[in-house]
Amino acid sequence: MIATVVLALRFALAIALYAFLGWALFTLLQELKQQGNKLSTQKKPSITIFVNIEKKRESQRYFTQTEIIIGRDTHCDLSVMDETLSAHHARITYHHGQWWLEDLNSRNGTFLNREKLNTPAVIITGDQFKCGNTLFDIRVDTDDAVPENST
Amino acid sequence: MNRVTQSNLLKIAAVFLVLQTLIMTLSPGVRARTWETDYRWSQWVALAIWGFFTWRAHGAILKRLPDADPYLFPAAALLSGWGLLTVWRLDSTFGARQAIWLGISMLVLYLGTRLPTTLDSLRKYKYLLLTAGLMLTGLTLFFGTNPLGYGPRLWLGCCGVFFQPSEPLKLLLVAYLAAYLADRLPIRLGALPLLYPTLLLSGIAILLLYFQRDLGTASIFLALYTSIIYLATQRRRAVLVSVGFLVFVGVAGYYFVDIVRARIDSWLNPWDDPSGGSYQIIQSLMAIANGGLEGRGPGLGSPALVPVAISDFIFAAIAEETGLMGTVGLIALFGLILSRGLRIALRAPNLFRRFFAAGISAYIGIQALLIMGGNLRLLPLTGVTLPFISYGGSSLLTSFIALLFLLLISNHLDEEPAPLPRPRPYLAFGVFLSLGLFTAALTNGWWAIVRGPDLLMRTDNSRRVIEDNYVIRGMLLDRANIIINSTEGETGSYTRIYKYPDLASVAGYNHPVYGQAGLESSLDEYLRGLKGNPASAIWWNHLLYGMSPEGLDVRLSIDLYLQYRTDQLMLDHHGAAILLNAASGEIFVMSSHPTFNPNQLNEIGPKLNQDPNKPLINRAVQGLYPIDSLVNPFAIAIHDKETLDEDELKNTYEALGFYRAPQLRIQVAEPLLNAEVKDLHVSPLQVALASAALSNHGTVPAPRIATAVNTPEEGWIVLPALGTSFTGIQASAADETAESLIVDGESYWAHTGSAKGADSTVTWFIAGTPPNWQATPMVVVVLLEEDNARLAEWIGRELLVDAMNP
Repeated sequence: MIATVVLALRFALAIALYAFLGWALFTLLQELKQQGNKLSTQKKPSITIFVNIEKKRESQRYFTQTEIIIGRDTHCDLSVMDETLSAHHARITYHHGQWWLEDLNSRNGTFLNREKLNTPAVIITGDQFKCGNTLFDIRVDTDDAVPENST
Repeated sequence: MNRVTQSNLLKIAAVFLVLQTLIMTLSPGVRARTWETDYRWSQWVALAIWGFFTWRAHGAILKRLPDADPYLFPAAALLSGWGLLTVWRLDSTFGARQAIWLGISMLVLYLGTRLPTTLDSLRKYKYLLLTAGLMLTGLTLFFGTNPLGYGPRLWLGCCGVFFQPSEPLKLLLVAYLAAYLADRLPIRLGALPLLYPTLLLSGIAILLLYFQRDLGTASIFLALYTSIIYLATQRRRAVLVSVGFLVFVGVAGYYFVDIVRARIDSWLNPWDDPSGGSYQIIQSLMAIANGGLEGRGPGLGSPALVPVAISDFIFAAIAEETGLMGTVGLIALFGLILSRGLRIALRAPNLFRRFFAAGISAYIGIQALLIMGGNLRLLPLTGVTLPFISYGGSSLLTSFIALLFLLLISNHLDEEPAPLPRPRPYLAFGVFLSLGLFTAALTNGWWAIVRGPDLLMRTDNSRRVIEDNYVIRGMLLDRANIIINSTEGETGSYTRIYKYPDLASVAGYNHPVYGQAGLESSLDEYLRGLKGNPASAIWWNHLLYGMSPEGLDVRLSIDLYLQYRTDQLMLDHHGAAILLNAASGEIFVMSSHPTFNPNQLNEIGPKLNQDPNKPLINRAVQGLYPIDSLVNPFAIAIHDKETLDEDELKNTYEALGFYRAPQLRIQVAEPLLNAEVKDLHVSPLQVALASAALSNHGTVPAPRIATAVNTPEEGWIVLPALGTSFTGIQASAADETAESLIVDGESYWAHTGSAKGADSTVTWFIAGTPPNWQATPMVVVVLLEEDNARLAEWIGRELLVDAMNP
C-alpha cells in the first residue's frame, strides 16, 4: 500500500521535473514569438546615397540593408568607377539605431565633412563624405519613411 | 515577464523538491512494506534552508537585477536543491554541511546583486586577482590538507572549515582571459604576442595542478583556456593545438605517470579488474543500471554502494534513484543553463562581458560533461564535481558566483550587443556542448536499459545481498516436502537457515559475503522469484520496491531419511555415495564427505577454501576418480570378455557416457576428453548412471535432482530432466550381467572394484536391484578415498536394503 502511494509520488516527481522544463520551453517560445512580432513591426533602416563625381551629381542609390560597402570593385554594394578609390574603400553600417561610416584602410582615405576619418563615425542627413575624388551626400530616411511590410 | 517566469519556475522547483523530500520521508516504510515504521524526517531541515535562502535570493534578483535572465536562477536553484537532498540522503552529516554552504552561496548571490560594479573591478584587477588565486593554490603545495584525511591535498583548512582554492581559480582564470582578450584583441597583434601572457599564466596554473595531482581540474583548465581563446580569436588552430596537446599529454602520462595509466586502464578495460582499479566505475554503472528508466525512487536505491557517491559519483546516485527519466531532466537543465549562458554572451554589450559569459558557460558545461562522462564510462574518470549538485562548499560557492556573474551580465535592457564579425565559433561551441549532453543522455540509456539486466545479474552487485535481507527466498524441500534450507527472521534481517547441514556440499549456500554455491546457486532464479513468477508480478515488484517478488519453493528428489542414513554410515570417511532411481534418474541420496556446516559460514568461511580436505567440493559430481577393475561387469556386458584392448575400452566408456558431462541442475565436473583411455577418471554420478543401465535393461537414465517448483499460478509444476536417457548396453546383455552379479542369499546384484590413482587408492562399490525387480529399480554407488572394500560394501548394502524395503 505504502509502496503504491510512493509510486504515485514518484511519478508526480517526474512530472514536476518535466513541468519545470516544459514551462521554461513554453515561456521561451512565447518570448521568441514576441521578439518576432517586435522585429516584424520594427522600421527597417533606409538610406539614400547621392554620388557626385567632379562636383556633378552622377546618380543616387537607395539602400535598405544594414551594411553597404563602397569601392571600385564591381562586387561592392556601391561600386564607383573612380581610379582614386580602393577596391573596398569604406563601409556604411547600421547599428545601435544609427548609421556609421568607417574607412576600410583605403589608400587615399575617407573624409567626412572634410575631416579625415580614423574611427567609425555617425552620419546624419546632410553629411558629405569623400572617397578619393568622389563625393557622397547622405540622406537618412527618417520616421516618415514607409515601414517595410512584414510579409 | 521576467518576474513571472522566474517566480513560476521557482514554484515548480519547490514542488519538485517537496515531493522528493516527502518520498525520502516515506522511504523506510516502503522498505519495511508497512506504514508503521520510523520515518526519516531530518531532510526537511535541508528543504527549509533551501526554501528560505532561495526565496531571499529570488527577491534580491527581482529587485536589483530586474532585467536579468529569468531561467538561470530557477534552474540553478533546482539543481542545488536536488543535490542537497541527495547528499543529505546519502549522509546527513555531509548534508548538513552542504546545507550551510548552500546558505552561504545564496547569501553571496544575495549580496552580489547589490554590487553591480563587481564586473568592472574584476576587469580592472585581473592580474591581481589571478595572482592571488594562483598563490592560494600554490599554498596547498605546502599547507594542503584533505578533509577526509586521505587522498590528494587540495584544500586549505583551519578550524574545521576547508576550502579548495582551485575551484575559484577556474573562475578567476576565465575572468582574466576575458578581460585580457577584450583589451588586447582590437589591437590586432599576431597570435604569439597576443597569447604569450595568457599562455604563461594558464601554464603556471596547469603546472600547479599537475604537481598537486589534480589532473581533472588541470584538464578543465586546458579545456577552458582553449574554449575562450577559440571563442575570442575565432582561430580554429587553437582547438587543434589543444586537442593535440591533450592527446600527447594523455599518451605521455599513460607511460610515465602511474595515476594516469591506472585511470585510463580502468576506463578502457573495466571488466578485467572489477574489484580493484575499476571498482568505482563498475559500481557506478551498476547503480545506473539499477535505476533503469523510472528509477528506484529517492531514498529507495542503494547508491551508497558506489564509493564517494556524494561528490564524484553523485550523478550515478541520482541515476539510480530517479532513473533515466530523472537524468534526462537533469541533463536538460544543464542544457537550459548553457543555452542561456551562450545567449547572454552573444547579447553582451561589450567584449569583456561577452567573453566572460561565454567562459562561464564553458566552465559549467565542460565540468558537468567531464564528470557525467566519467560516471557513464564515456570519458576517463576525473575527480571533479558536478556544478551546483556535488557535495563540496568550494565548488558550490564557485558555481553560485559564476551564476551571479551571468545574472549581472544579462541585466541590461535592449542594449545593442557588441558587434560580432563571425558568430561561427559560438555556434560551433553550442553544437559541441549539446552533442556532449546528448551523448551523455544516450549513454545513460545504454547502461540503464540495454545493458541493465546483465549488469544487475553480476555477482559483485551487492544489491542482491540487500534484497536477500528484505525478500523471502524460496525453500529447498526434500521429496516429502521436509525443509532442507529456508529463510527466517524479520524483514530487513532475513537469514538463510540450513536445517540439514550435512547436505551442504550438494545444496550449497547463499551468503552475503561468500556468495552462492551448489543448488542454491544453480536454482537461484527460482529461489529468488525471478523465474516461475508471472512476468507482471516481477515487473510490479521491481517498480514498487526495486526487488524481486517472493521466491519460489523448489522440491528436490532427495529422500532426507535415506540421506541421513547415508551420512551416518559415511561418518568421517572421505568419499561420496549416490542412490538413484534407475529408471527415472531421480537422485534419492547424494552424499559427499567431508562436508561443512553452512550455518557457521561467518566463522569458518575464510578457512574453507584452504581446507586440505576440500569440503566445498561436491565429490559426488565434481570429484573425478580412476575406475580400473570397476569396469569389468560393463566390459562383459558390452564385449562379452573382461580384458579389453584400448579401442574396446574406449568404446565401452563411450557407450556408458563417460565422455559426457551428466546434465543436472548442479555444477558437475567436465569430462576428461583428452585423457589416455587407461587413465580416464569419472565422477561417482557418471558411474551411478552407468550402473543404472544394469538395473534398467540397458538404458542409462537422465539424472534429476530438482523435481518441481511451487508457482503461485499453477501450483507445483514439474522441472523435467535436462538431459535425455540413452541405451548404454543391449537390454538382454544388461539383464544377463546383472543376474550373474546377484549376491548369494541376497536380492540385489553388486560389484566391488578398486583403482589406483596418482597418490592413493580408491574403492568403488556398485549395487542395484535385479532386472526382474517389481518395485522401484534402484542403484547405489559408494566411493571411498581409501582402500577399504569391506566398508564400501557394508555402506552400500545397508543403504540399498533400506531403500528396497521401505
